[in-house]
Amino acid sequence: MSTPGPEHAKWAENVGAYLLGALEDEERGGFEAHLETCPVCRREVDDLRVAADALPVSVPLVAPPAELKQRIMTVVRSEAELLAAAGARADAPEDAAGRPAAPRERRRWSLAGLIARPAVALACALALLAAGGLAGALVAGGGDDTRTVVAQTTARGADVRLEIGGDGARLVARNMPAPPPGRVYQVWLKRPGRDPEPTSVLWSTRKDGSAEAAVPGSLDGVDAVLVTDEPEGGSDVPSKAPVITAVPA
Amino acid sequence: MSDHLRSLADEDLMQLVRRGQASAFEVLYERHSQAAFSLAYRMVGSRGVAEDVVQEAFLAIWRSGGRYERSRGSVRTWLLGIVHNRAIDALRRSFVHEKRRASDEGLEEMLETGERTDVEAARHEEAATVRAALEHLPADQSQVIELAYFGGFTHTEIADMLQTPIGTIKGRMRLGLQKMRHALGTGQVSLG
Repeated sequence: MSTPGPEHAKWAENVGAYLLGALEDEERGGFEAHLETCPVCRREVDDLRVAADALPVSVPLVAPPAELKQRIMTVVRSEAELLAAAGARADAPEDAAGRPAAPRERRRWSLAGLIARPAVALACALALLAAGGLAGALVAGGGDDTRTVVAQTTARGADVRLEIGGDGARLVARNMPAPPPGRVYQVWLKRPGRDPEPTSVLWSTRKDGSAEAAVPGSLDGVDAVLVTDEPEGGSDVPSKAPVITAVPA
Repeated sequence: MSDHLRSLADEDLMQLVRRGQASAFEVLYERHSQAAFSLAYRMVGSRGVAEDVVQEAFLAIWRSGGRYERSRGSVRTWLLGIVHNRAIDALRRSFVHEKRRASDEGLEEMLETGERTDVEAARHEEAATVRAALEHLPADQSQVIELAYFGGFTHTEIADMLQTPIGTIKGRMRLGLQKMRHALGTGQVSLG
């Protein structure tokens, strides 16, 4: 017979709510910490998990649309191709000087790690765009000849829009975090089949998280307007994955 | 796509997905997308949002195939757990409890109409077993289980909604799952 962990009486009643995903975040953390020390609750969780895991089986079956598979597989195949293209280098860890090290134990494949590489990250973002996964939504025009596109951003809580008018385009951000210390935001233009082109537009945010940044030149033939954070002075090649992606079309 | 891939178990397909094999992922998608979409649709009540949930979940699975651990249960259970979490995120992010509930009647035209395979027939049987276990619970227990699991409500929200002490709500959830577990027995319902 196992001995209950500390404060078992306080936590035991949470087993059902935990398995149903009904605990508040903080409470869930507390319960999981309790599970580490309480074999009685662990056993009950393992036992009742069978019932909780069976719940999805009870729902009426609904066929997903064929387009959904097409969208997902477009992204997956694009990323698989990128992986294959980067494969040899991806498996050769670099030494401290940035040179490929001698072949040794192969690293486990990691698409997440690969996506952290700037060129691949940008290509992946564009693969998602092609699939509609990140496509921006057109919202009401700001004037007769102005239209506004909602941009995708990885910055939690931020709202970024691309305003396209007759005299040019600009990014308008609200609640956008400042770039990391020593870095600035840089605007890039991505055209089909070409690497992202750097622009001279470097910007930061005001104290209230707002910012406006002009997008230089014409957007004709531009797939996406991207923003990355770069060292002060900007970069010729993106060093990070985009924090903002706006699709003008 | 090769018959060889289709003959592999989910766990073996995950090994190939981990190495970046898109065709192995496609087999997994074909095998589980209906269950995933059905769960998402049951929870969010909108086809468009359900599609977003399933897309997010499957792409997360593709990109983190290495995180699947055989010891934590079947691939199907793991995958549906990810869909469930994404659907809860969607509910709490934008719908917060104003979603339209999908009625079973309204779904008829969307139900799969293809020829039933043995696997699908077995899953229909499993679904009937789980539904029966759920339906045989006292109403106050099945209610809190449905609100929590499919509605994405926390126990605090459910307690407010039903004007019932939190301790009582937690007790009903636990007791309901215990009874379901007993009704399902050992090995009667498998999510593998």
